[in-house]
Amino acid sequence: MDEGNDRGNLPQAHVEPRKGLHISVVWIIPILAAVIAVGIAAQRIMSEGPTITIVFKSAGGVEAGKTVVKYKDVVIGQVKTVQLTADFSRVEVTVKVAKSAAGLIVEDAKFWVVEPRVSLGGISGLGTLLSGNYIGFEAGKSHKKQRRFIGLETPPMITTDQPGRQFALKAADLGSLGIGSPIYYHRLKAGEVIAYNLEDDGKSVMIKIFINEPYDKYVIPETRFWNASGLDVSVGASGMQVRTQSVVSLLAGGLAFDTPPFAPKTDPAPADAIFTLYSDQATAMKKPESIAAHYVLYFNESLRGLSVGAPVTLLGLPTGEVTEVGVDFDPKTLKIRGRVEIVSFAERMTARLGKDQTSAGKALMQSKDQRERLMRLLVEERGLRAQLKSGSLITGQLYVAFDYFPDAPKAKINWNSERVELPVMPSTVHDLEGKLTGIITKLDKLPYEEIGEDLRKSLASLDQMLKDADKALNHIDGELMPALKATLDKLHDAVSSADRVLKSTDATIVGKDAPVQQELHDALKEIAGAARSLRLLTDYLERHPEALIRGKGGE
Amino acid sequence: MTGAARTASRAGLVSCGICELLLRPADKAAPGYCPRCGAELAKRRHHSIQYTWALVIAAAICYIPANLLPVMTTNTLGSSDSDTILGGVVFLYTSGSWPLALVVLIASVMVPLGKLVALTYLLITVQRGLPGSSRDRTRLYRMVGLIGRWSMLDVFVDTFTVALIQLQPLMSVQPAPGVVFFAAVVVLTMLAAESFDPRLIWDAETRREKRYG
Repeated sequence: MDEGNDRGNLPQAHVEPRKGLHISVVWIIPILAAVIAVGIAAQRIMSEGPTITIVFKSAGGVEAGKTVVKYKDVVIGQVKTVQLTADFSRVEVTVKVAKSAAGLIVEDAKFWVVEPRVSLGGISGLGTLLSGNYIGFEAGKSHKKQRRFIGLETPPMITTDQPGRQFALKAADLGSLGIGSPIYYHRLKAGEVIAYNLEDDGKSVMIKIFINEPYDKYVIPETRFWNASGLDVSVGASGMQVRTQSVVSLLAGGLAFDTPPFAPKTDPAPADAIFTLYSDQATAMKKPESIAAHYVLYFNESLRGLSVGAPVTLLGLPTGEVTEVGVDFDPKTLKIRGRVEIVSFAERMTARLGKDQTSAGKALMQSKDQRERLMRLLVEERGLRAQLKSGSLITGQLYVAFDYFPDAPKAKINWNSERVELPVMPSTVHDLEGKLTGIITKLDKLPYEEIGEDLRKSLASLDQMLKDADKALNHIDGELMPALKATLDKLHDAVSSADRVLKSTDATIVGKDAPVQQELHDALKEIAGAARSLRLLTDYLERHPEALIRGKGGE
Repeated sequence: MTGAARTASRAGLVSCGICELLLRPADKAAPGYCPRCGAELAKRRHHSIQYTWALVIAAAICYIPANLLPVMTTNTLGSSDSDTILGGVVFLYTSGSWPLALVVLIASVMVPLGKLVALTYLLITVQRGLPGSSRDRTRLYRMVGLIGRWSMLDVFVDTFTVALIQLQPLMSVQPAPGVVFFAAVVVLTMLAAESFDPRLIWDAETRREKRYG
């Protein structure tokens, strides 16, 4: 080719001074990209929360990358790994916590696995059926950070931010209570049982409860708690009582509390105060009796039906209760008798005094000497005696009644003995019972069969007798009556002839005082009497024909 | 390849970038404007290498968060899942549909990366004038231009999913920042490929021939 010619035509290049390095604006794009990328990376690193480790006994439903940690239903972290601990006994869960929640991860924070739980008190964690289990979280109060936690096996019953207060109840036994058992105040649900444990001495149970706001302010030091579990059926001398707080407590057990009306108004009880758990409302709300007099009664009769707690009444009003029922043994005479220890509360009687007498009564009861003097007067002078009485014939529950028996043998009270003995009267209950038993025994002994047999025989003979009587009557009708009629006719004739004679003699015997007339008069009277008797007889026979056979029966 | 040497540039001519009209430049430094279509004439694209480098570097920077950050967040009843592209690939693979996993891996991870590597290779070879087949390099460039737009598929799927799956409160899908970077990578690589002047490959060849030939 003729490149040489071409080259000749081309202009000669000249060297130009080198211009400064030209940098295009396009470099803004990578710089911008770099800035944004670095910015996002920085933000990521900055927003990175702490990674914590939680150790669970078992981690049901916890999955790496899926399970979240929730606080107040807000996700604050996510499970990164789930693995066994070095000794394979537990599960170690690492959780990446959101930066915003990093401040919550303090040493007394609590973690637990939330899963659906069905208990008698209710169903919880239903949401996890759809979303899967998650790790529940409860913030602590400490400020010290921690990165390793031991997970709880069961969710805490209350969260620290739940308004209300915690108390403890000391009880002899747990009854039908469980965690979550409701606590009622005036039948409103005011709280629940959150924990229980046996005391170290192994003799009583400490029940931890939580009372929600605003009910917690009604818990004052004088407040009484009682077991409102299930159906409380009590049969006492005062009859049968059925109590329940709610259907839930019927199933799940429950507690109730109230402040007795006599309690002084005070500030609410401090948190974690310990209360006694009473077995029922009546016991719980009982006024504390300060003036208690203890007596012992000896009965020579059966104490069956008398139980501890049975009422002691004075003139029918409750004044105390039976504290012990036992026996008394005299080693010398080898006599065994029933021993009943009672306690009597003077305040119960003074409380029933009329308004104008209350203060005087109280004043009287305040002094021990006065009380003893009054008691001596009542027992020794007025004949106040204790007696066992039956509260109910059906249940056979007994109670101790004090009544006046002015005719009772005199008795003395020995105030110096350890237990003051009060004189007793044999129970009428047992008398009545004994009599009734005697009657029943006698009735039982009656030879019903023989009586029946005899009765049947008697009835047969009576039947025969009546038949005979019937025959006799027929006989009377057929044979006696015509004869009687003839006799009467003849009598009539006799009377007529007598009349005629009288008429004929009338003329001759005129004198009123004539002996014939007198005699006649008497004879006539006799005849009239005879006729009357005869009429009475016929009348009677007409009405009582059986009189012919059996004679005139006494009416 | 004797004909290879006879280029418009060598001949002192310039071809219009739009209507391909072969012209004599008005001046060597400033070729002027095309009399037919009015486009500004340039012997080679202005600062082609520099532009391409800038865009490739920007794309490379964006490629990192595009793969590290989640592209979408799925909320299903209380739990939320954030998925990255690679996470999706792993999920598809573990759930048994490895062909799909392969498609996603190629289209979303390897193609953008391949484009970046290819453009970087072209830029370096052009600048340094390294030996090699200019024909193959041109073919590589054509391929980069061809597959560039397909990477946008991922972004489309993401946006469609977000728009369609809004079954509150059962399930909802939210876009995550990763998708923005991913789209940026795709757009930047496309622009980079566009700003690269393939004629530079052959200029480099010519220079090399001159030097060694």
